[in-house]
Amino acid sequence: MHDVRFQGEDILARQLELADRNFKQLKERSVRAVSVMGAIGSGKTTLIERLIVRGASSGLRVGTIAADSAGDDDHVRFLARNAASVNVNTQDDCHLDAHTVQHALEELPLDDIDWLFIENVGNLICPADFPLGTELEMVVISVTEGDDMVRKHPKIFAQTDLVVINKVDLANAVGVDPNRIVSDYAKVNPHGVALQTDALHERGIDELARALGLECTNTLW
Amino acid sequence: MHEYSVVTELVDALLPRLEGHEGEIAAVFLKKGSLRILSDRALVNAFEVVAHGTRLEGATLEIEEIPVRVACRSCTYEGPVEVYEDESLHFAVPVLSCPKCQGEVEIRAGRELMVDRVSIRSAADEGA
Repeated sequence: MHDVRFQGEDILARQLELADRNFKQLKERSVRAVSVMGAIGSGKTTLIERLIVRGASSGLRVGTIAADSAGDDDHVRFLARNAASVNVNTQDDCHLDAHTVQHALEELPLDDIDWLFIENVGNLICPADFPLGTELEMVVISVTEGDDMVRKHPKIFAQTDLVVINKVDLANAVGVDPNRIVSDYAKVNPHGVALQTDALHERGIDELARALGLECTNTLW
Repeated sequence: MHEYSVVTELVDALLPRLEGHEGEIAAVFLKKGSLRILSDRALVNAFEVVAHGTRLEGATLEIEEIPVRVACRSCTYEGPVEVYEDESLHFAVPVLSCPKCQGEVEIRAGRELMVDRVSIRSAADEGA
């Protein structure tokens, strides 16, 4: 028996390289990109719709990449808000990857976009291991998922710098205390930022826009 | 279940590297950073499925965990982090913060996923 040793190259090196290429391309074209992750029904699409409108009111042009296993429902919603949008169907894949995003970027008018929101497939866990090349990552959870969300996925939240707790208007109805989510999150990620929103009724959107720096209208990079 | 995507990348990357190394592949030794959201059990199961019909069929996948190391952005600390343990979680979580000054940190280790080595059984071993 003999061993063949490897020189410590990451298995996902190809993905990391592509993510780096996306990052550089976005930076060169002065586009700030945010990866939006979260479970099905957490409210990712509604939040992005609100951010498109908020961005436009600050004179910023927002682009989107809408990823779902099938269909173009989210993409159609973004187009209705006048965002430059690309629809991506991942079919049986449970997450986006940098390669798919690279092709989506080819279809977007990057010179006419200031901010890009990439909505990942509705799935909390799988996208976490696949960097896309965005500057920021945010995870959206809704109170309807239960106030033990952080306790059930501590390793994800330990690495997530921005968490949006959405649908807080429903907290009482589902017997959930959003502050418990916030305090659990602070335990596993003392430097993270947790915001509470009710995207449907446009509450907390100003705070989120500020946390993202979306209201800044000068040169962004 | 993104372990299948990860293992597909692993097998695709590994097969060309093993060309020119004669013999039966006995084991693949993987190093996994403890920040990775990957289940060992799912990786092993996925490896069995994805390796089927390739030279890696029948090889075992051995996984070793790489602990988190950070460098503090505020003080000079570089090393491991504290682990948040809550008995009810049944899970230890590395806290990405400086254990000395509670400052923000840069991750130096803990997100890797790499092949350390591959053990190959050759004809010479059979004779021995």
